[in-house]
Amino acid sequence: MMRPVWPLAAALLVAPCAAQPADSFDAMIGRGALASAEALARAGGDSTLAWLGEILVLRGRAVEAQPVLERAAAGRFGARRATAVLAELAERRGDPVAVRLLAQPLADAWRRDHRGWSADDLIAAGRVLRLLGQDDPDAVRDALEAFDAASAADPTAVEGTLRAADLFLERYNAPDAVQGYRDVLARRDDDVRAMVGLAHAATLTGGNALALVREGLAVDPHSVPALLLLARLHLEAEQYDSSRVAATRALAADSTSLGAWAAVASLAWLADDGEGFAAAERQVESLSARPAGFYAAVAEAAGRHRRYAAAAELARRGVALDGGSVAALGALGTNLLRTGQIAEGRAVLEQAFARDPFHLWHKNTLDLLDELATFETIRTPRFEFVAPPEDAALLTAVIGPLLEEGYDRFAARYDHRPPTPIRIEFYDRHADFSVRTIGLAGLGALGVSFGTVLAMDAPDARPAGEFNVGSTAWHELAHTFTLGASANRVPRWFSEGLSVLEERRARPGWGAHASIGFVAALASDSLLPTARLNDGFVRPDRPDRLGLSYYQASLVVEFLEREVGIEGIRSMLGGYATGDDTETIMGRVTGGTMAAFDVRFFGWLRERFATPLAAIASGDPTVFGAPLAAGIAALQAGDSSAAVMMLTAARERFPAYGGADGPALPLAMTLWSTGERQAALEALTGVTERDETALTANEVEATWRMTRGDTLGALTALERATWIAPYGLEMWRRRAEVAGALGRDADAVLARRAIVLLRPADPVAARTDLAAALLDAGELADARRELLGVLEQAPGYERAQGLLLKARRAGTTP
Amino acid sequence: MIGRLALLVVLGVAPMPAQDGDLHVLVVTGLSGEASFAATFTTAGEALVEAAIGPWRVSPERVGWLAETARPAPGRLAGRATKVALDSAFRRLGTTSKPGDVVAVFLIGHGSGQGTASRISLPGPDPTAVDYGRWLDLLAGRTVVIVIGASASGDFLPVLARPGRVVLTATRSSSEGNESLFAARFAHGLVSLEADADKDGLVSVLEAFQYTVREVAMAYERDGRLMTEHAQLDDDGDGRGSAEPGRDGVGDGRLARRVTFGARPSSTDPRVAVLLAERQELEGAVEALRRRKEGMRAAAYLEELERLLVAIAERTEQIRATGAGSPP
Repeated sequence: MMRPVWPLAAALLVAPCAAQPADSFDAMIGRGALASAEALARAGGDSTLAWLGEILVLRGRAVEAQPVLERAAAGRFGARRATAVLAELAERRGDPVAVRLLAQPLADAWRRDHRGWSADDLIAAGRVLRLLGQDDPDAVRDALEAFDAASAADPTAVEGTLRAADLFLERYNAPDAVQGYRDVLARRDDDVRAMVGLAHAATLTGGNALALVREGLAVDPHSVPALLLLARLHLEAEQYDSSRVAATRALAADSTSLGAWAAVASLAWLADDGEGFAAAERQVESLSARPAGFYAAVAEAAGRHRRYAAAAELARRGVALDGGSVAALGALGTNLLRTGQIAEGRAVLEQAFARDPFHLWHKNTLDLLDELATFETIRTPRFEFVAPPEDAALLTAVIGPLLEEGYDRFAARYDHRPPTPIRIEFYDRHADFSVRTIGLAGLGALGVSFGTVLAMDAPDARPAGEFNVGSTAWHELAHTFTLGASANRVPRWFSEGLSVLEERRARPGWGAHASIGFVAALASDSLLPTARLNDGFVRPDRPDRLGLSYYQASLVVEFLEREVGIEGIRSMLGGYATGDDTETIMGRVTGGTMAAFDVRFFGWLRERFATPLAAIASGDPTVFGAPLAAGIAALQAGDSSAAVMMLTAARERFPAYGGADGPALPLAMTLWSTGERQAALEALTGVTERDETALTANEVEATWRMTRGDTLGALTALERATWIAPYGLEMWRRRAEVAGALGRDADAVLARRAIVLLRPADPVAARTDLAAALLDAGELADARRELLGVLEQAPGYERAQGLLLKARRAGTTP
Repeated sequence: MIGRLALLVVLGVAPMPAQDGDLHVLVVTGLSGEASFAATFTTAGEALVEAAIGPWRVSPERVGWLAETARPAPGRLAGRATKVALDSAFRRLGTTSKPGDVVAVFLIGHGSGQGTASRISLPGPDPTAVDYGRWLDLLAGRTVVIVIGASASGDFLPVLARPGRVVLTATRSSSEGNESLFAARFAHGLVSLEADADKDGLVSVLEAFQYTVREVAMAYERDGRLMTEHAQLDDDGDGRGSAEPGRDGVGDGRLARRVTFGARPSSTDPRVAVLLAERQELEGAVEALRRRKEGMRAAAYLEELERLLVAIAERTEQIRATGAGSPP
């Protein structure tokens, strides 16, 4: 059952209107001209007292603002605005009683009758309703209505639109928020609040948040929300110094900002600076009696640094201070789910959702948990497979042995044994996997590792041939070990690099391989230095940067391992575990600076890719260029010998390239058609052993090898193909037959089991085939068990009868 | 499957009807509209007729095929599938069949209309569901299997359902009007014995239905399309079709399980005949044991099951030892 999200859709605005006067208070606040605004408000006397109070709060002078606002609230002008600001100050202080005393009468008055209210008063009502919304979901909807009414009452103003957009953003509803912010900026292009709002939304939708926030800071360098977002973005990019600078600037602008203290505390916590963290806590305690949001923010930062268990504990402290804090409950629930504590995580998120039914992240996650409750869980010695019922048995049968193998291999390599069972969840809808990972749809990744909880797309979440299920699972499992060995402190680039390297070592063809783009980036010196490689993951500066960085990181760690051995890699993970940074660790392990390392590394890269680099240096940026084009043209003209000549020449420019757009595939097909079978196979292997998703090429290779009597080679190709398309019944049939013919009994059993689990048209015959394979493999008890199952349904099936007698005579009992 | 057929041949068994009475088969393939549908309908119709005359051992005079284009065949009813021809064919069935016989009618084509006005497109005026109901009423006392393998056929079911009838429709209602995959897969499962889930050499209507439902669902899944047909079966006469007949707690499926297509092995060699009879009895014992499964301890059930199955397997081995063939 899906959970209805409460409709919080707004008629966001409104007809185009004239610009608000440039010197209005709201416009000045919007562009950060707070000093001018304060001067203007002071000059206005009693009539602008409420504005003065609000501006003082924004300038970090809450104590000074309080009596001003109290006077305004009791006066004739702006009393409602003053009341709203006072209520917000009470909320910051963690005083829910004062919040209610201030907010409730204003809200009640609005609810009774707000005909004739000014836009300013409607805004004030919306603000207190937003505060009351923490306990009363209806109030959130009312707040939105009030903001919309304010916009309608004064179409020249933007504040109503802005605050409505903020309301959406708080609940992770990025599309509606973006619409509001854009509307504000269309009318007032220097409104920093809207710019920062857009930047926040971009963190949810994958846009360039950093650029947007920098635009805002160019207008107002002291904008606290902009500086806080900048601090967060730097923190996520693991650029701690930059983050610290931004947080310090935010504190300088407003030393009473809980968000700024949370940023400072997050940095201290991540750096294991207990004293710094405690100092921030003391500051916050002096500002708020119930700073649940502070702990939620630090928990959020910890979670973003993959410190999920610790994040849950931090969030729990927030919940202990304020059991009604949606932020703290959300952070706790989310991180419990990431550590595999599904029941408790769900219960906590249900509490958060009950308080705020508009929160999209929580709603999506709870819907997902409803779906997850229908999944089947199957245990293997060290894993727990969780998948849709129709997929679970097959995925366990196919991927289970791979992951068991992976556990042993990684445990030996990293000298670390993560606690078991390791939970791996498979989602047959990519959107569900995305929600599991980021709370929202739209994540581009295939899998994620939260440590001992992994989640990934099931094979049917994407079209066959789009990804390799085996290598993806292997990649995520490698993270489990590198995260564990580093106490979850390994930076992203190092962990990803090791995972991709492990993929390449697991099976021929798996993992990222060199691309034209990579060689071109190497040629143009636009690969990132190792010291900044993390940016390629968390803050890519160009569309292909992420892909380049995965491959580059894998080469960095490959090179590192050549230099310092696996002991050096282990030492690095250990260094991260104790809180050292990359520069310190690299210095210790390599005995030199990172710059010196890069000199050696890039030298090695240039040597490794010397051939394609030479092609680029000769003036062909596409590497294959003219020979490939000529080869294709010759093919189209039916001139096979010219095609072979040109395609061979093209391939020699980059022999390690296996992409479908390169020369290897057409060369292979041409060679085969001209009878040069061995050469064709060699060319085709150049694809199948370098492109982990080359489904068709592997199928073709299997067929070709069979025709040449190379049964073992065919089996290898079929194994690769079934990792790409594990739901391909026909492929498993071929694999079963070939494995059986070769006497590869275990493989034949696996293939026959996969066929049974894929619901073939004749399940009884398929199960009998499995029983026969089990008999051949000497697994007599399993064979008899299977045969009893078959014959229970089909007692007259003579083939199964014969096998049962054979199994019995082999002398076992089930 | 190969082993099974080989055994039949070597034994030289006389075909035995699946039911006590005789089997009568009427195939009707309607207007196709385009070549691809014509090929589908014809392939399915041809397969059913050939299976009837071949492995099912139905004598040609009890087999008929009315088609979009008449396909004359010696010895059996053939002609265009017009309303008049259908009327005549059903009347003839009423006289050539007798109570206790099984009459199987396969309607394959494009469906339309709704409720009692549901129809299959035929050359000339289309008979409605009510017409078919009237014709089936001529077959009182027979076990009637009517398979409506057509789009938008769901509303036929409540009109045609009666005790003693197995009614299958390709769709759940008349609103499922897209091209249906049901008929072709049903015919294939029935004729090829792929639907023979219990490997007894016979395909029951229930087995064929379950096979078809599975195959149709997989075809849609394979193509990444949303299912636009949901087949149903009624055999308890209540007019409420079931998508999962034969499952525990589902009223439909009992009669469909009993009506089978194919031939049981038999032998004129008395030694073999005894062994075949013993084997059949043991198969019955397995069936009875399965019904008691819920109330038994798992170990006791498995022990008894294996004892019976081994006994069956040994009978098969003994039959082969008589020279009837070698194990597959």
